[in-house]
Amino acid sequence: MDHGQYLVLMGLCVAITLPLEFLVGVRVYRRPARLLRVMLPVIVLFVARDLWGIHRDHWFYNPRFITGIHLGPLPLEELVFFVVIPICGLLTYEAVAKILRLARGTGPLRFRWPDGLVREDLVRGGSTPGGPRA
Amino acid sequence: MVVRLRVGPVPEYTVLTVIGVVAVVLLELLWARTGIFRTARYWIAMAIVLSFQIPVDGWLTKLSNPVVLYNPRDFSGVRFPWDIPVEDFGFGFAMVTLTLMLWRRAEIRQADHDHR
Repeated sequence: MDHGQYLVLMGLCVAITLPLEFLVGVRVYRRPARLLRVMLPVIVLFVARDLWGIHRDHWFYNPRFITGIHLGPLPLEELVFFVVIPICGLLTYEAVAKILRLARGTGPLRFRWPDGLVREDLVRGGSTPGGPRA
Repeated sequence: MVVRLRVGPVPEYTVLTVIGVVAVVLLELLWARTGIFRTARYWIAMAIVLSFQIPVDGWLTKLSNPVVLYNPRDFSGVRFPWDIPVEDFGFGFAMVTLTLMLWRRAEIRQADHDHR
């Protein structure tokens, strides 16, 4: 169990931010092409920076709390970290934008799949419940 | 909080962290120019990210049972809050800011493309 500690912590970070995509209704995971284009340079840069830190003995990882799976000198957990944490940041950034937008809106707040939280009066098309009737 | 001030060369993790932060800020100001630093959206998101960095990073670096161990030779020696090396906050700022900047840049380009 101890060996999974770092990985479980990363799993918790994914789990706690997942509702931002599927309840608040931001689109981060659902824009895979953009996500990949943004994440690739971040991962490459920060993995390289991490490898330098490992190479120079700036830091090392307690073998007790990691799985022991390595990609070269890089523990699997570190790669997972550089994928998970920036995505958590993106979900937060998108959720803040959406919540600010919702806060400025009027009309009843509803949850609608797959859009997440919406203001009914922001919906185009006329047939919104509670909207003006002919 | 453990503070060990000393004289001599500045430790390498400290130097690299400062370079990282400056590089990301310059990248925004000179290249990406998304205007991200002038938006409430960015600063609110960063405040939230920071508030989650403290428990997560705090867990990883706690001296009682550390997951990640830092070489005292290579960082400032300042650990705050809890046992988190302060450099970690610069590292996190640079990583998350770079990500949000690239995302915002893609968003702006997409919007420009759609309006054409």
